[in-house]
Amino acid sequence: MKDNILQSLNLEKIAKFRELGLLGFIILLAIIIQLLNPAFLTFGNLRDLLTNTAILSILALGMMLVLITRGIDLSIGATLALSGMITALTVSAYGNLHPLLAILLGIMVGIICGVILGLLVSKIGILPIIASLGLMNVFRGLTFWVGGGEWVSAYQMPPSFKSIATSSFLGINTLVLIAVVIFLLFYYFVNNTITGRQIYAVGSNPDSARVSGINQTKILILVYTIMGGLSGLAGVLWVSKFASAQGDTATGYELTVIAACILGGVSIAGGVGKVTGVLLGAILLGVLSNGLPLINVSPFWQMGIEGMIILIAVLFNTNVKMLVEKNNLLRREI
Amino acid sequence: MTEHILELNGITKEFPGVKALDNVQFELKTGEIHALMGENGAGKSTFIKVITGVHQPNEGRIKLEGEEITFQGPKDANAKGIAAIYQHVTNYPDLSITENIYMGHEKINKKTRMINWKEMHQDAKKLLESLGSKLDPKTEMSVLSVAQQQIVEIAKALSSNAKIIIMDEPTAALTHRESEELYKITERLRDEGVSIIFISHRFEDMYRLADRVTVFRDSQYIGTWNVVDITNDDLIVAMVGREIKQLFPDKTNIIKEEVLRLEKLGQIGRFKDISINLHRGEILGITGLVGAGRSELCQAMFGIEPYDEGAMYFEGTRISIDNPTDAIKLGIGYLPEDRQAQSLILQWEIKQNITLASLAQYSKNGWLNEKKEREIAKELAEKVDVKTNSVFSLASSLSGGNQQKVSVAKLLTTDLKVIIFDEPTKGVDIGAKSAIYQIIVDLASSGYGIIMVSSEMPEVLGLSDRIAVMCEGRLTKVMGNEEATQEKILEAAMTKEMAVH
Amino acid sequence: MSTRTINHIQDFSWKRFFLQWEWMLILLIIAIFTMNSSLSPYFLNYISITDATMTFLDKAFIVFPMVMIMIMREIDISVGSTVALSSVVMAVAYNAGVPMVLAIMICLLVGALCGLFNGFLLVKYKELSAVIVTLSTMILYRGIAYMILENQSSGGFPMWFSFFGWGYVGTIPFILILFLLLAVIFVLVLQKTIFGRHIYAIGSNPIASRFSGVKVDRVKLIVFTLAGLMAAITAVFLTSRMGSTRPNVANMYELDVIAMVALGGISTAGGKGKMLGAILAVFVIGYLQYGLGLINVPAQSLLVIIGLLLIISVTVTNLRMKGKLKKKTSN
Repeated sequence: MKDNILQSLNLEKIAKFRELGLLGFIILLAIIIQLLNPAFLTFGNLRDLLTNTAILSILALGMMLVLITRGIDLSIGATLALSGMITALTVSAYGNLHPLLAILLGIMVGIICGVILGLLVSKIGILPIIASLGLMNVFRGLTFWVGGGEWVSAYQMPPSFKSIATSSFLGINTLVLIAVVIFLLFYYFVNNTITGRQIYAVGSNPDSARVSGINQTKILILVYTIMGGLSGLAGVLWVSKFASAQGDTATGYELTVIAACILGGVSIAGGVGKVTGVLLGAILLGVLSNGLPLINVSPFWQMGIEGMIILIAVLFNTNVKMLVEKNNLLRREI
Repeated sequence: MTEHILELNGITKEFPGVKALDNVQFELKTGEIHALMGENGAGKSTFIKVITGVHQPNEGRIKLEGEEITFQGPKDANAKGIAAIYQHVTNYPDLSITENIYMGHEKINKKTRMINWKEMHQDAKKLLESLGSKLDPKTEMSVLSVAQQQIVEIAKALSSNAKIIIMDEPTAALTHRESEELYKITERLRDEGVSIIFISHRFEDMYRLADRVTVFRDSQYIGTWNVVDITNDDLIVAMVGREIKQLFPDKTNIIKEEVLRLEKLGQIGRFKDISINLHRGEILGITGLVGAGRSELCQAMFGIEPYDEGAMYFEGTRISIDNPTDAIKLGIGYLPEDRQAQSLILQWEIKQNITLASLAQYSKNGWLNEKKEREIAKELAEKVDVKTNSVFSLASSLSGGNQQKVSVAKLLTTDLKVIIFDEPTKGVDIGAKSAIYQIIVDLASSGYGIIMVSSEMPEVLGLSDRIAVMCEGRLTKVMGNEEATQEKILEAAMTKEMAVH
Repeated sequence: MSTRTINHIQDFSWKRFFLQWEWMLILLIIAIFTMNSSLSPYFLNYISITDATMTFLDKAFIVFPMVMIMIMREIDISVGSTVALSSVVMAVAYNAGVPMVLAIMICLLVGALCGLFNGFLLVKYKELSAVIVTLSTMILYRGIAYMILENQSSGGFPMWFSFFGWGYVGTIPFILILFLLLAVIFVLVLQKTIFGRHIYAIGSNPIASRFSGVKVDRVKLIVFTLAGLMAAITAVFLTSRMGSTRPNVANMYELDVIAMVALGGISTAGGKGKMLGAILAVFVIGYLQYGLGLINVPAQSLLVIIGLLLIISVTVTNLRMKGKLKKKTSN
């Protein structure tokens, strides 16, 4: 018994270490950037950083659920663009549409996209990577098509719509506020509701989940729908923030989102992932994209740096896992 | 209150092409430990699935506490207080002990509709303590040992107020000490009024624990006895159904020179200090309890997972084997324990399965000669007598015994000198069994060195020239067939101390 | 030991012959040809049909190894980025004074190394899935391409280099000749050699393959390296045709390639499908794109069509497999 308590301590330590390490890394990075360019830790820049990270963290939370069920969703960039485009066209045609309705419209578009993907994955059994790759193209094409190949630019959008991203409530930017609310909702959902725990169960061991009477189809459709709804919301926020909707909005953004999850300790093999970790992962990427230009790193280097960090994170995770397994073997006395 | 908490009568369950249970009966008294025994394929697993509602019987009646009931699914049975702990523990490795215990019946705070973690953790701790375990319920499942995971499974059964707990070979992967812990827990449960069905291959388990024993054979009910009333031999006859001797062919093999020698072979965490040799024409039986490291040793010899220490000598020269390809090239073949997962490609034709390990023989510079391939496949399939009419039939269409024959045929395609059989008759019917025994003896007679790993003692005693017994990763005894008895083997399989030799 | 005779000669069956997925694809090609020739009177002649292949065959080289990868139940979504990286390295090398022939060699080497690295990670870290490995390298490879060239383009190649993308041998486009030549080789390798048989074995049951002496790791390494090499060949043709390159070339090529493979009848469950099907699918999608281009259907609609084709063909394959399974269990 005794050595098993040690064993569990070790694993728990490693899990904690990952989050603390991530936090430490973020702080270290911030200090380095600050030393090189004092403009980093100013109120204005931090506000920029947070608003920029808000959309990423909203999407990363949704992606976390998908990854926990052993799935993946590559279509979210396209869903985001489609919802943003449809909303932008609507508000430019009906200038007096209430911003809340615009947000609702965007979410609806996203939910429809998500349900389609959920059905393909759960009912027909297409691999998530292939189904979402196909839908990514479909949604992206539709975005171009509904936009007629044109942009919707700032002057076509009513001020009330643009103010979604710029307004603030109690001194906090609305985008950040929305992200915080979603974070809290997620924290509650995955930790304190039965459905939330069933998502982990399905990803941790699908066969056992079936025996325990968990409806897997329902869970899968649910996570892809949530992911779609969040992408739809993000689409509205994105278009409002950048005050333009284009056919190629957020191309490749799904990769950044998945990267945030992996950095935050979500396992692609399913069953593992914490909201706090994902948030830290998103913040790390936010600091990178905000800070690197400040220290004169070319913006074109960012993708390569991101790629390396992801690869290192993935390999670090597996190496730790292999080490723990080997230790378990060594501990077995013969 | 009736004396029997559970009664099953005239249960028949058919699957396409097989009668898995044929008019079977069973009675479980309140508060007893009832052993259910029988060979592989006797119908025990199907029977358990009928009790737990996974399968619905085609015929027959189930009475629970005197009332006739039917189960639509596992949830029904669970709600009625029946819980099963399966051989392969099914759990959620990434989740905590508490979640594993309460998955499917979480405790909810009535007001906030939130999961009541505090109460669940506390109750889980109490449950574990009542089972004598000091585990922290917040611990992740994946870091527990198999024995600890089983305790969690038992706690899970108790958390749903189970009155009947079915344990399907719970000791299979446990060490001697861990089994002893499990016995104590099981007895404590019985004393608290829980009725237990205990399935095991180990006679030891039955004698130590059970009040009564029921035996199934070939999908049929054979009988129920008080454990104190039945002798070991009678029980074996009940399980096997005939004198064991006639199952085994007359041995005609002649033992010649040494072909393989292991010196102090070891693999971290799996086995250690294994020194033994094998001769041409010899059948060396390796036995021991499941988890003793037998399969691991054989797979190391075959290069699946290389050994960490010691040395292997083949025909007198020291060799190193890094992968199965090397082993086959040298002349060492391996028939894996799990033919569906490790040997056959079920969706392939018999022909392609037979030739997979030896494609180089029917090819020139990498190009296949399919005509030659077909001919060899036909020849070998006929030699081992696969019951099929074409080499183009799919492997999945064959019965277990015939699939095993295809696996054996696959070994015969390569130029081998040593063949390792790992549980060669697991899950095959009696007829195919004796055919496989005949093949093994014939191979030995024609000069192959044979290693046969088996948990079935009659098989080890009936075929081997020498018998090696392993326990918890060590070789505890090597004896000639003439001096070997069931008792001696069992003793060696349970004691870790090296016997003097 | 026995007197049973087991049949080892299989009679030829017309039913089995015509029940192959490949016929379906041939019908599709005929339908597309009919459609194209009704759209444009200039389509149905030798020059137009062969010239069309120059517009879509570049990415088709990746289809060959992708078929092998998907039969092995793996996937590689980094191939588009590999194309970009090897193309960029080639252009930069040439402009740094390396002779063009050597620059092409470097291009092929870079591609092969990219593939080898994917394979190495997969083989070394068994619990990593191909999805996560190639997703990471997809970002990494393109990221490196951006690091090298930022948002610039690089070109100015010697005249003869345009031969790859624009040249003919006699009246046949060079790219078509090379493609058909490689197609024959890959069909034979997959269907008629030990290597090919091993690929199917790994996709059907990797553990049994290993126990049967198949060198699973080595096969995977070779196939992933091939994927990188073929991506580099694509880079050569693509760069030659465009005359210059940028880090964002070959974006989403992996999708087109996977769509072609899926349409070709290769099951994502592994172990099933033929090289010939995927080769026919290349022409189905290629001529469809070309035909829609004839009537000026915008590129974006093509996205939708390819996406839908991918989903529909995977759905059909999945449902076919499910149907077969049901048939079997009811027997």
